[in-house]
Amino acid sequence: MNATSLETFSLLAPEIVMVLAALVAYLGGAFAGLRFGWLVAAAGIVAAMVVTRGQASDAAFSAGIAIDPFSTYIRWTVLALGLLLCLVQSGDLFAAAVSRGPGLHRGGTCEEAGTFLLLLAGLSLVGVAGDLVLLFAGLELVSIPTYILLGLKRTDARGQEASLKYFFLSLVASAIFLYALVCLYGIGGSTDLGAIAARLKAEATGRTAQALLPLAIGLGVVGAAFRLAAVPMHFYAPDVYEGTSPGNAALLSTLPKVAGIVVLARLLVLVGPAASPDLLWRIVVVLAAVTMTVGNVMALWQTNLRRLLACSSIAHAGYLLVGIAAAAAPSLSPRLLSTGGLSATLFYLATYAIATIGVFGAIAYLGHRWPEWTSGSGPRPPREEITTVDDLDGLSGTNPVAAFAIAVFLLSLAGIPPLPGFWGKLALAFSALEVDGAAAIEVGSRRSWFVGLAVLLVLNAAIAAAYYLRIIAAMYFKTTKRGVQADGGLAAGVAMLACLVLVGMVTVRPRGLLTAASRAGESLVPPAAAALPDALDTIATR
Amino acid sequence: MNDISPSTLLALVPLLPLVGAILTVALGRVLGSRAHLPAIAGIAAAFVVAVMLLSGMAREVGVGSTGHDHAAKPVEMVTTLWQWAGIGDAAAPGDGNSAAKAFAIPVALRLDPLTATLLVIITGVGLLVAIYSIGYMHGDPGYPRFFALVSAFVFSMSMLVAASNFLLVYVFWEAVGACSYLLIGFWFTKPEAAKAAKKAFLVNRIGDFGLAVATFLLWMTYGTLNFHDTTLADGTLVPGILGATRLADASAYVGGAVGTAICLLFLLAACGKSAQLPLHVWLPDAMEGPTPASSLIHAATMVTAGIYLVARTAPLFEACPGALTLVSIVGATTALVAALIGTVQNDLKRVLAYSTISQLGYMFAALGTGTLLGFTAAIFHLVTHAFFKALLFMGAGSVMHAMGGVIDMRRFGGLRRVMPITAATFLVGALALAGVAPFAGFFSKDEILASLHSRGWPDAHGEHHDAAPAGGHAATGATFHLASVTPDAAQFAGGARGSALDALNTPATWRILFWMSLVTAALTAFYTFRAVFMTFTGPTRVPDEAGHHAHESPPSMTIPLAILAALSAVSGWWLFSTHSLASFLASTPSFTAPAVASTATPPAFHWDLAIQGTLAAAIGIVVAALGHLGRRSDGPQMERFLGPLETLFANRFFFDQIYSALIVKPLEMVATLAAMIDRHLIDGLVDTIARIPVALGSVVRHLQSGLVQRYALAGVIGTLLIVLALVARAMG
Repeated sequence: MNATSLETFSLLAPEIVMVLAALVAYLGGAFAGLRFGWLVAAAGIVAAMVVTRGQASDAAFSAGIAIDPFSTYIRWTVLALGLLLCLVQSGDLFAAAVSRGPGLHRGGTCEEAGTFLLLLAGLSLVGVAGDLVLLFAGLELVSIPTYILLGLKRTDARGQEASLKYFFLSLVASAIFLYALVCLYGIGGSTDLGAIAARLKAEATGRTAQALLPLAIGLGVVGAAFRLAAVPMHFYAPDVYEGTSPGNAALLSTLPKVAGIVVLARLLVLVGPAASPDLLWRIVVVLAAVTMTVGNVMALWQTNLRRLLACSSIAHAGYLLVGIAAAAAPSLSPRLLSTGGLSATLFYLATYAIATIGVFGAIAYLGHRWPEWTSGSGPRPPREEITTVDDLDGLSGTNPVAAFAIAVFLLSLAGIPPLPGFWGKLALAFSALEVDGAAAIEVGSRRSWFVGLAVLLVLNAAIAAAYYLRIIAAMYFKTTKRGVQADGGLAAGVAMLACLVLVGMVTVRPRGLLTAASRAGESLVPPAAAALPDALDTIATR
Repeated sequence: MNDISPSTLLALVPLLPLVGAILTVALGRVLGSRAHLPAIAGIAAAFVVAVMLLSGMAREVGVGSTGHDHAAKPVEMVTTLWQWAGIGDAAAPGDGNSAAKAFAIPVALRLDPLTATLLVIITGVGLLVAIYSIGYMHGDPGYPRFFALVSAFVFSMSMLVAASNFLLVYVFWEAVGACSYLLIGFWFTKPEAAKAAKKAFLVNRIGDFGLAVATFLLWMTYGTLNFHDTTLADGTLVPGILGATRLADASAYVGGAVGTAICLLFLLAACGKSAQLPLHVWLPDAMEGPTPASSLIHAATMVTAGIYLVARTAPLFEACPGALTLVSIVGATTALVAALIGTVQNDLKRVLAYSTISQLGYMFAALGTGTLLGFTAAIFHLVTHAFFKALLFMGAGSVMHAMGGVIDMRRFGGLRRVMPITAATFLVGALALAGVAPFAGFFSKDEILASLHSRGWPDAHGEHHDAAPAGGHAATGATFHLASVTPDAAQFAGGARGSALDALNTPATWRILFWMSLVTAALTAFYTFRAVFMTFTGPTRVPDEAGHHAHESPPSMTIPLAILAALSAVSGWWLFSTHSLASFLASTPSFTAPAVASTATPPAFHWDLAIQGTLAAAIGIVVAALGHLGRRSDGPQMERFLGPLETLFANRFFFDQIYSALIVKPLEMVATLAAMIDRHLIDGLVDTIARIPVALGSVVRHLQSGLVQRYALAGVIGTLLIVLALVARAMG
């Protein structure tokens, strides 16, 4: 705590920039037009990017703030996703405005943009938090704007139901997570993560630590599970996604997951060196296995597009947990191909988020469709929002660009080579297979758990392909008399294209992102082989 | 040009047609009948860039400088665009002493004389074909699709010849195959076209299989797939397969069983792509595609990919003389068989298709000699053939266009009066193909015959032996001067066990191959002029399909014909007399390997061979004239003199029937059986398994009651279970 407050300010400059931009958006909303809020939001994010770029990414601990390659990676992820989501969200708004007549949403839009900026600032804060209080404050700064956004976007009964459900369940999760923080404080006697880790290492066998550690791990994992939409806190996802707008669904399926991964990564580092690390990896393996399976089998039954994607986002939470589990089981054998569990998860997180935002961006862009109507049967009924998979029938004929983009995103999510999702799943599977990679597979051994997990991951990818391909088949092999309207605003279309470009870039050159992810991951969980003799120290793609 | 680096220019050559293709796809509907604009602009720009690169490369090599430098220096420029994928430390099998090697696939392009030459041909002929297609494809519902595919093909083909990595070569080998498939099946509603496309695809797969396995073997043997030398981050040099390091050291190429296997697999790949025996059956059927596509892909460029592959891997082949001899045998045999079949075809495009197979056979025969003369002669013939065969195909397309889609020569005649420009340009192409002096084909064919002759009668080419003292090769220990080594010696050379194929490498074999080629030359002249006489002479007849407006084609079609006719007339004389192409190509890294470079001979015009070749051509033309000049093409045919042989030729040596009986039918039976097992046994099993997740889902789904209290309760119960499990584990 020796840093002056000025230094702390400079470390938090990107977050401060975003909060200032949020204030501008709120205040300016009283005077300015429809587009003003989102322009400010985009400008604020870009300004935050500039500021982040100017900062050194070396490990700098100051007053509970950790600036290291990991938090820098998270920051960049948040800012990049924020920019994309900003485009999707504004397109979302235009869809609502168009369908309800002009002028209705004039005031709301700037409030949405400001709230969205606060959310991003909170998430970024979660990334850099090196202190329990700051971490929790950041998480709440993510949650509360989310409630508001959910409530603002749709004012009909379904929308209100969705935002209330999310609100209640989020409160439960926050309360549970707070208990975990309390336990950690009880162990460490400090709110500083570094201090807690040091204490844990020193008296790992102490009675307090022994009693509180399982509680802290269990409650902490559950708290993170809510953000990730993982079992057992996954129930809300389908209902909430279905009841909200595509833009909000895009937000919910990506940003909270970033927070969840950060919480798990910090927890992992904290208890990793402690005496009983077995606790963490075992529970994460179980949750990963159950989550991906539950998500995928549920998705098989869905006909509603957003419900389906919600279930798929549950499944992807399961995939993300695979890397966390692998990182929690520090391997003694050298790595073969991948860059470690945490790095694999960080890489997968980025590829998943890009493809998901792309899909929702495309849905937001498509907006509405014409209802079934023949000219003889009275006046044309009003347009309907795209809700079910069938609504995309024949999209390749009516809007080939959007159909192609959606197909690419879905194939990436399904993990078809050589798209980014494939590289991500490959990295995850390898990270699981590397755990005790040299040991024989015996029933009950650590390696058997992870080999089983890797097998389950591949099986789940196969199950998932079934429902992704169903959407692609609807777009390309079915015909429809009703065209889509594509009234969701150009911004969402631009977001879709931007995601397509990003997917293309990672496809042809996965190295750049992989290197960044591996540097970020290794800054928290150093490669195990570093501790081994040089002979084994071959490692890692650079 | 000073502002743009050569490496940027090199990347532009494939990039511009790619952009053209993408724009055509994106804007096709908007542009409508102007959909050719992006494609033509892209290819034209690529052509300009390719010419700039060629002239720059020519300056660097110093073409036209005095004196024939026997030790041509390798000239290459490699530019790595980006690292595509890499695996840090994959163990290289078969390489015991170094534990691990980085497996990296760079997207690397190269520029050397061979690549520069081919890039100009690909983009140049591509441009002419694209312009020609404006007229030919006019009004076709798939107009934008056609130009997008042509543009995509030019991109893929440029990448294929510019790639500096065997994996990239494989990727674009497949890509040109895909473009070819899509263009053969362009009119996919026509059953013959769909069938022909499928056949081309399947037959090509056999060749592709060879290339894939060869690539695996290369990786296992050499530990890299790059052509060029690369330097790792830690400063160690990885010698590329065709890099300067390995080229300088002749013992660096593996002979024996492995080397021969690699070369034979390359040959298999080349046979597929370049339609050589026994994989030639797809090319005649490929004529179902639009004629401009046949002209570009199935005559001028894509089918020469096999020639390129063998020429590029010349040093590998030099280490396996048996495989090299087999290349010549396959080539000369194909040339003869295809020419024989061509003599009795009545479909103008099929005559040209068999002629293409036959001429490609010539090129392979030259490649197989393994001498510098042979390699440059093959590329020389590739260049001239690209001109005159594209011309002939486009001429045939012009005829087909005017005849309302009829291409059977028996149904029209005397067209020189109807379409004079087409007739004149077609005649120029025919003279070039027949090898009549001074048209292009005469010179390149003469070079090929000379290269074969020098192997069959080494003593007649004495100076070429003195120029390369055998002692110099003994010192390198692993190479051998092909022309001066007996089969026995070849088996010892290289320190590796020679393959049984090496026994073929005798002067007697080469003499037979030479005579086969000479006979082929006569046959070529015969079938070419038979087609000319049947189509353009005799009483004027026009089929009913043409209606009353049989006419000369529009300028967009005749101008490319005229340009190609001019090239077919003069390019051979020009390239031969200045010796520019041969001396330019000699600087290609692959041709500077000692085993190739040592066979260099001073440029010479072989009067004896020229007279023999001309005589052969004259015989062919005279016989054709006797049978067909000025006669009705539907009248009695000369074939009746052939007796039973006519049946053999007309049925194309029964290749299709034999394949059908021996391969297709048995495979179909196995496939039917497999389908039955699949449908009844496997599907049942899989369906049962597939029902498990669905059933599971229906259970899980019912937990989604929509009641928030239940969700919270379930969450809390889950939390309790987790915490209890953890506490229980920590306690006990």
